[in-house]
Amino acid sequence: MIPRHFQITISVLLLAILVTGMYMVRLKRKEEAKNAQSAMAAPIAPPAIGKQERIRILVAYDEDLALRWRDAQVLLPSEGGQRAREILRALLAQYLQTPSPHPLGKDSDIKEVYLMADGSAVIDTTPQFASGHPSGILREELTLISLAETLAANVAGVTRVKFLVDGQERETLAGHIDLMSFYPTTTIHDLAREFE
Amino acid sequence: MIDPAHGGEDRGSVLPGKAQEKELTLSLARELRKQLEERGVPTRLLRESDVNPSLEHRAEMANQNAAVIYVAIHAEALGRGIRIYSSSVPSAPPTGLERFLSWDDAQASSLSRSRRLANTVGVEMRKADFQVSIRAAPLPPLHHLLMPAISVEWSPEADDLKPQQGSGAIARLTAALASGIAVIYEASGARP
Repeated sequence: MIPRHFQITISVLLLAILVTGMYMVRLKRKEEAKNAQSAMAAPIAPPAIGKQERIRILVAYDEDLALRWRDAQVLLPSEGGQRAREILRALLAQYLQTPSPHPLGKDSDIKEVYLMADGSAVIDTTPQFASGHPSGILREELTLISLAETLAANVAGVTRVKFLVDGQERETLAGHIDLMSFYPTTTIHDLAREFE
Repeated sequence: MIDPAHGGEDRGSVLPGKAQEKELTLSLARELRKQLEERGVPTRLLRESDVNPSLEHRAEMANQNAAVIYVAIHAEALGRGIRIYSSSVPSAPPTGLERFLSWDDAQASSLSRSRRLANTVGVEMRKADFQVSIRAAPLPPLHHLLMPAISVEWSPEADDLKPQQGSGAIARLTAALASGIAVIYEASGARP
């Protein structure tokens, strides 16, 4: 016969093991959920670190085929290329919202902006920027002008602009407007004037 | 040389009623050829079927055939009326000397004649009650071409593309375009 006090001790120990086990399982699940959430929010590009600045963006409006300057508050890094990319992303954010004044394809984005000492700027876009772009001379022209003018207005010393798609040259944006050439900013100003 | 834009897998813009730009440009080009031949202007199409020659190949074909005039036909849902584009390459300086022309600015020496073609076609389009704007744009293959060259883009209303009304709008547009082209063709002295 097992003594009563021994039975109580064993029972208490078994209960303590059970409770601890349940607690451990709960902790494990909580940690797994936390890890899954942080994996989903993992950044694919370094965060824009810098200070909030006011910039001017030239926004295209399909409804009346116009380009209009707007002010935007953007967190801008200090490094030139990253800064230029965030400026252009602020413009794309206008186009990717719903409703959009000038709809672009989903996942259209600026991958990099390369600023060169001779005044050239090369804007590298995601593949979706071109593959999802609506086709048409006017639509393509408005996109190109608004991006190039916005860059030239906010980044000093840019004298000509070229576009790449996923690091590669491409003949046209969506079947119409030339993407092979470097565009002098003076030419872009002239083209923009026709939409004022 | 008439160039119906797009073709093959490149459908171009989506037009009212889900019509495809590549199909409309081909039917406009066929109608334009008919109108031009009635005016005594020999005409070739850069594509006769649902194929898509590259833009460089289109320019090469026009240059090799020594075309007197090149007109590309486009269509888009956005906007209204007709837009007539000449190339945005800078004009060649009038040096009076033979100048080397690169592939990318071959159009430079013909740019003033291209603008004249655009203006003349614009006048005829306005006479036919179309709303017209004349502009310069970076549109390949215009800058590779050695002859007067324009792109004409039409923004049709949904009714313009319905069979009954469409035949009227398309005939009016192609007749006006043909009249403008014929004026410049006459002035070029190309008629035998």
